Amino acid sequence: MSETDLRYADVNRDIVRSLVETGPRYYITLGCAVGVALLCFFFPWFYQLNLGIGAAGMNHPQVWGTYEAGFIFWIGLSHSGTLLSCVLHITRSSWRKAMYRSAEAMTLFSLVIAVTMVMVHLGRPWFIHWAFPYPNQMGLWPNFRSPLLFDVTAIATYLTGSSVFIYMGSIPDFAAVRDRTTGWRRHMYTLLSLGWRGTDTEWHRLGWAYTLLAVLIIPLAVSVHSIVSWDWAMSIVPALHQTIFAPYFVVGAIYSGTAGIVTVMFLLRKFMGFEKYITELHFDNLGKLLLALSLIWTYINVLELFTGWYSGASSEIEALKYKLFGYYAPLYWEMILFCAIAPLLLASKRFRTSFGPMLWLSIAINIGMYTERFLIVGTSLSRKYLPADWGLYVPSLVELSILVGSIALFSTLFLLFVKIFPSVSIYEVKETLHEPAVSPERSGAAGSAAAGGDRWQPAR
Amino acid sequence: MTAKEPARKQEEPASSLAEKWREFRRPGYYQEFDYDWTMTVDLDRCMGCEACVTACKAENNLPIVGEKGFAQGREMQWIRVERYWEGEYPNVKLRFIPMMCQHCDAAPCETVCPVTATYHNQDGLNVQVYNRCIGTRSCAVYCPYEVRYFNYYDHRWDSPLEQQLNPDVTVREKGVMEKCTFCIQRIRQAKDLAKDDGRRRVRDGEVVPACVQACPAEALVFGDRKDPDSRVSKSLSDPRGYRVLDELNTRPSVIYLKKVTV
Amino acid sequence: MATSAIALFGDSHAALAAARELTSAGFAAPTVISPVPLEAAEEVLGKKTSVIKRFTFFGALLGSASGFLLAAGTAVLYLHPTGGRPIITLPPFLVITYEMTILFGILSTVIGFLVSARLPAIRDRAYAPEAAVDRFAVAVTCDDGEGFQRAAQILREAGAEEVRNEAVSS
Repeated sequence: MSETDLRYADVNRDIVRSLVETGPRYYITLGCAVGVALLCFFFPWFYQLNLGIGAAGMNHPQVWGTYEAGFIFWIGLSHSGTLLSCVLHITRSSWRKAMYRSAEAMTLFSLVIAVTMVMVHLGRPWFIHWAFPYPNQMGLWPNFRSPLLFDVTAIATYLTGSSVFIYMGSIPDFAAVRDRTTGWRRHMYTLLSLGWRGTDTEWHRLGWAYTLLAVLIIPLAVSVHSIVSWDWAMSIVPALHQTIFAPYFVVGAIYSGTAGIVTVMFLLRKFMGFEKYITELHFDNLGKLLLALSLIWTYINVLELFTGWYSGASSEIEALKYKLFGYYAPLYWEMILFCAIAPLLLASKRFRTSFGPMLWLSIAINIGMYTERFLIVGTSLSRKYLPADWGLYVPSLVELSILVGSIALFSTLFLLFVKIFPSVSIYEVKETLHEPAVSPERSGAAGSAAAGGDRWQPAR
Repeated sequence: MTAKEPARKQEEPASSLAEKWREFRRPGYYQEFDYDWTMTVDLDRCMGCEACVTACKAENNLPIVGEKGFAQGREMQWIRVERYWEGEYPNVKLRFIPMMCQHCDAAPCETVCPVTATYHNQDGLNVQVYNRCIGTRSCAVYCPYEVRYFNYYDHRWDSPLEQQLNPDVTVREKGVMEKCTFCIQRIRQAKDLAKDDGRRRVRDGEVVPACVQACPAEALVFGDRKDPDSRVSKSLSDPRGYRVLDELNTRPSVIYLKKVTV
Repeated sequence: MATSAIALFGDSHAALAAARELTSAGFAAPTVISPVPLEAAEEVLGKKTSVIKRFTFFGALLGSASGFLLAAGTAVLYLHPTGGRPIITLPPFLVITYEMTILFGILSTVIGFLVSARLPAIRDRAYAPEAAVDRFAVAVTCDDGEGFQRAAQILREAGAEEVRNEAVSS
């Protein structure tokens, strides 16, 4: 965004255009996403609901499979958007402003997919409401001692928190869009904007509420993935029963989420015409963040092996050996290649600021992170304590199809989002621009009053 | 009635808040469970004939998963006989361990169930409520003994095999976890009988789970550990006794008798 | 009949200066409508305090209490011995307490925001759609036509591009 020739009115025009002008390419993409979601997600799921979980490849020692891995993967993917947006908001980093809206949407939709994966995973999903405390005739409420119920509360809170956060940050933009649209859109945005005018009082209240929410959501996001890790770490299964799991999962989640943001930013920039808003600066900064996260992730990953080995327990050693050299070992080394070695390329600034390579790296990282989640389920459950019950688990076609379908479902939700929510924040981008100087004598005074001077710095 | 009634402390209702707090910090809502059902397995007697497995299948309406299901690792055996080879050929020994739900007093599966489908009942048994189960399968992940079995399908019995289903035991639906119950239906019948006879407690030998009944070598002994004169209490004093994976502190109710040489 | 004078300015400096003029001329609380938050607005229009943080704080406190009560109350009302654990098991219940603290904190922040920003707006209020794009508007309520003329005069002198007269229902 070194081109400071962008004016306030341009921002409104560009972003409203992204909402109302829809080309055939969008409809084709949306149609494909909906089609794949129906064919690869809902159809196999319906088949599985009819037949039973037997449609998946799970068996006796390995009762958890790709659905559970998918659940952690999507929860993990949700861990960067809102969290990163909150951290950058309270540290007043201005590079956040062009990308945070879509990053938060990614959080929200990944969470939705994660909840869907839970539904797919359950043996009897039609009774999922039993996991919620509600007055009922059975005279029974859920078991709050269960790590799975921590999940229920944490994810419910996170879903509430991130949807409130994205909505509250969009209210001024809904108002701006309301004034420039007609027809059903105008009605919708009138409702969504709650009658926002942009008065000094309203801005003041919004600033307070938004910051308070950010402060609340940061510890929440950290707690959510810690809690997800406790689904494993609270068990006494070798290689899972480790105190390092909470930080390991949180770092892994932010890592894969940040890679997801890079992917989404690339696609938005390319296909929504936001070249002026999402620039090398963003990819450079996200690349630095990814590099730091990959180093932390690698460190914890090695440490996890070390603690298992150091315990000296035969079951831990066996689980370790199986992970490194057993049936799933190729997957393990693929994960190391994608998540620990390949990201070292990010040390080069030229790599960080080239869009294509960043896209491929971010996809590779997320493939690696999915593998990590699969290995957590696969390698540890196949090597528990009793050797007579060691087993092997290979996902079935239904499971693979649902994995593909869940990505299509996510894309569908995201494609709908970009046509309803202004996917780049109008007012926060304006804050980084010079004020409109209408007449020459005023242009000198312009600028200093706006938004605390955290002006957009041209990419260094 | 010769069995000594274990003295149940009749406590006054807690008066102060501190006492109430202490009460709720004690495990379980019964001051003490009514029974302490225990099984001992004499491994020196077990010859791996799997009569217990067959008896259990017949008693508890366990489905036959067929060749394909077995190959996929989805066989349902509430009790199974694990085989371990010891030594190198030609000096090999074959060891058997019948493995069923250990009815742990500190069961990892119970704490993890989000909907309380598995919990400790008043007999000190680890019970599974099929109707409550939503199929998260987390209990099976948490179980170190791998004795929980999941219904991957709605199992069918070809006619006329459905005629031999035990009417005292439910047939489980798809998506539900199940496991050994220590033949809870037989425990319930014995307790009803005892109540009809005006007794407060079940006598030793009145409850015989199917596997115990079928064991030709009498390797399995079942009874109430609270009754000091019961057969199981006597076999508990056997110096060979050990618990599987005792180091995990799950406090199992199944005690194996075998001199551990390692 | 009360009317509202709305003046449009090309930059925030001029708008804020106009608001200051109006205040010193005796008009009550002019409103600055802007497309971006103006940090300088507080210097001109007086320091603002907000009740939102109180909402958040007490909401979070309420959340802590109800989170623990939810977990402990459920355990006490529906007694199920599990895993040899006590009925009131502190470590897991603290996790529930933590999550509910944040949940209630978030919800009460939202309520606090809506209450203190007086949203959603039910009646029409003084508004200029240009202020959502690239103009800075100053709105002030005048008691009568003469007041409007006086306000318009001040606003034009301060460099307003346009001054509008809108009837407001109050």
